[in-house]
Amino acid sequence: MDATRIAFIVLAAVAVVSAFRVVTAPKIMHAALWLGFTFMLVAGVFVTLGAEFLAAAQVLVYVGAVTTIILFGIMLSQAAEVRSRDPLQRERLEGAAFWRRGVLPVLATVAFVAIMVTVYMRVPWPAPPGGVIDTVRLIGSALFTTYVIPFELAAVLLLIALVGAIVLAVRDDNKEEQGS
Amino acid sequence: MTTIPLTYPLTLGAILFGLGLYGALTQRNAIRILMCVELMLNAVNINLVAFAATLREAAAAGQIFALFVMTVAAAEVALALAIILILARRESHIDIERVHLLRW
Repeated sequence: MDATRIAFIVLAAVAVVSAFRVVTAPKIMHAALWLGFTFMLVAGVFVTLGAEFLAAAQVLVYVGAVTTIILFGIMLSQAAEVRSRDPLQRERLEGAAFWRRGVLPVLATVAFVAIMVTVYMRVPWPAPPGGVIDTVRLIGSALFTTYVIPFELAAVLLLIALVGAIVLAVRDDNKEEQGS
Repeated sequence: MTTIPLTYPLTLGAILFGLGLYGALTQRNAIRILMCVELMLNAVNINLVAFAATLREAAAAGQIFALFVMTVAAAEVALALAIILILARRESHIDIERVHLLRW
């Protein structure tokens, strides 16, 4: 039991609790904050796994951008149920809806996790190698040699997503102005 | 590179993915479903990084895959929130059970 392993176990336990709160927190704002906390913990897990560059990217992209965008989305949308307490959670499920929304998700989730964990336990994995690799240098050189085309495509994808989000948001504004 | 056995992060990834899956299947609030999808993508990233840390020949490929997953997730969350905001403006709710715009 060395320090890295203990740190990993602590981070993982807190991350599971925090992810559970993302699903179950009654207020959606709290769920969004729990989500940001989960992302932070996953960044910590990346550090314990020796992926420092990805941990930094995780903090920048997920904690910095995704959580902020989700919080902005919650605060900007006018729908009351988005911002306040979630009234949909406490509904009573009856008949077919009970099976479709109550039993089936639990069955699917438990079956998935059970099958995956069983497989992970059965497979004889190779032991983790010792020593330290300079992963940042490794990623940098691989990204601009072997993976240069996917890298450029990712840039194009981000540009398309940016333009698409602007087009979606702006066009709706114009329509509302014409209609009123 | 690390002393953590491969099963630990893989199990963590499976549990986080399961929680995200459960949330995405049961929730009706569109923003919360989006959050659960992000959680699932993160769980997959943990798996990729774990394999990169243990299998020496996959060290670069695993982390670069995780990097691309992050890129796609960032693009996805921007578009999804734009769509959700339009939905909230147009329907004044974001309950996906009551949205029939694309059904017929």
